[in-house]
Amino acid sequence: MLSYTFMQNALFVSVFIAILCPCIGIFLVLRRYSMIGDTLSHASLAGITLALMSNQSPVLGAFVFTALSGALIEFLRGYFKRYSDLILSIVLALSVGTAITIISSGRLRTNADAFMFGSILTVTQTDIYLVLALSVFSVGALILLYHQMLYIAYDEEAARVAGVRVKLINYVFSVLVAAAISVSIRIVGVLVLSSMIALPVATALQLEKGFRKTLLYSILFSVIDIMLGLFLSYYLNVAPGGFTALVSVAMLLVVMSAKAIRTRIQIARGKPGRA
Amino acid sequence: MRIVRICCFSTDIRQKKEVRPIITAEDLYFSYTGAAPYLLDHLALHIPDGDYVSVVGDNGSGKTTLMRLILGFLKPTSGRIVLTAKRIGYVPQRNDFSNAAFPITVFEALDSYRRLIGLKDRSAIDDSLKQVNMAEHKNALMGTLSGGQAQKILLARAIMGRPELMILDEPSTGVDMNSQEEIYAFIKRLNTQSGLTIVSVEHNLDAAISNSTSIFHMTNGHGHMCTPRQFLEEFLNTSRREHDHA
Ligand SMILES: Nc1ncnc2c1ncn2[C@@H]1O[C@H](COP(=O)(O)OP(=O)(O)O)[C@@H](O)[C@H]1O
Ligand SMILES: [Mg+2]
Repeated sequence: MLSYTFMQNALFVSVFIAILCPCIGIFLVLRRYSMIGDTLSHASLAGITLALMSNQSPVLGAFVFTALSGALIEFLRGYFKRYSDLILSIVLALSVGTAITIISSGRLRTNADAFMFGSILTVTQTDIYLVLALSVFSVGALILLYHQMLYIAYDEEAARVAGVRVKLINYVFSVLVAAAISVSIRIVGVLVLSSMIALPVATALQLEKGFRKTLLYSILFSVIDIMLGLFLSYYLNVAPGGFTALVSVAMLLVVMSAKAIRTRIQIARGKPGRA
Repeated sequence: MRIVRICCFSTDIRQKKEVRPIITAEDLYFSYTGAAPYLLDHLALHIPDGDYVSVVGDNGSGKTTLMRLILGFLKPTSGRIVLTAKRIGYVPQRNDFSNAAFPITVFEALDSYRRLIGLKDRSAIDDSLKQVNMAEHKNALMGTLSGGQAQKILLARAIMGRPELMILDEPSTGVDMNSQEEIYAFIKRLNTQSGLTIVSVEHNLDAAISNSTSIFHMTNGHGHMCTPRQFLEEFLNTSRREHDHA
């Protein structure tokens, strides 16, 4: 199967997705913002339909629209302090409204299904360059801002006392989320994107390690999930996004069971480990 | 009347010593809504360099809010706060700090903080851990520490940048007795030996009276500064009066 160009393309893009998603996801999960991933992936659908309608690159369209939505969420957070879930509903309404209106107007020259469910057939050369550029940019920004972002997630007040510009970094972070989403949307699809962001992190959290190790394990699980998802979906002839999501749930269950069994064994041996 | 007299008396002493003020707040008003009623209502606060001030008052009297204003997390509704300290160490109120499940080791929590405050010297981590007797817990997960141990790590973090001012919010809440003693001895030592200015919100009146050089007593949106001795007398008078009424 690797002899097909589209499969090579898909594999190449998948590796970047697998690295990028948990890097962003760990901060979203730990700040209890996982649902932002869902909202923003719908925002990216609006961006894609807008781009397709005006003959632009869908990845670029997704990135621009999602980054703007991310910034809008950050901005509205100042206004709706006590009702932050309301902000997500507002942005979701705006995005889904735009997407559905455009799709139902029949003015798209291409089919948007590939972006809803994920498809490996449609990855173009332009997409690959964009994915590469966005990934390098995002991972670079993450490395530069690692300690700041860690502290904003862990202890925002301490971050402020230490002089971190929390608001500015939150804006930068929403751009990074947008980048991760627009990179992933081709293969994974809008509908299961948030699971790619959250599930490998959820799995790694089961191991109860420090931050760096949790991040590295999330990347490892993410790579395994997406590779398995990609190959298996190819042989089963189903959408890769949906199947990757199933694989990542299975992975989470495996790790949780392994942990439960280990605890049992330790208790049986009379030296209980950490619960 | 008595309160006013105490207040004037203590400022007199301060003026004679002529020490640099480290925190000055005048005509301070604050409410979370930005309108009356004010949680802090025409409050004044002067903390000279080198003091150990305990801030006491009933639950909800605005102690934590005042600390957040001093730290710049909140903006006064009106009035201003002048801070001459540049490097500040902060130990937050731990029951506000609901992040116990966060996957982070002691080392990571300190090392990232060290980088944020621009401290190049890596040995600062081990040094500060040693000072609070937590060196052997360097690789532990924060979430596995007891209340007292976690509080000591927060203290270690706060002293890493050699601060000029240390702000603590109820440092002994959720801390076992032995660690409480250790923690207060440590804070006291920072004040007497290193001359660090301490502002500590206290619900533990014993600790406030026996450790601090002054007590800032908050009631009804105001506060007044008194010596621990004056505070104790005042406290005993109030309870005696209440007792007589009963
Ligand atoms: N973020 C907030 N928004 C609105 N009200 C608040 C907020 N934080 C505290 N309060 C209210 O302000 C009052 C003072 O709180 P706080 O400063 O925490 O008191 P203390 O630390 O003295 O117990 C309380 O009535 C509390 O409910
Ligand atoms: Mg408080």
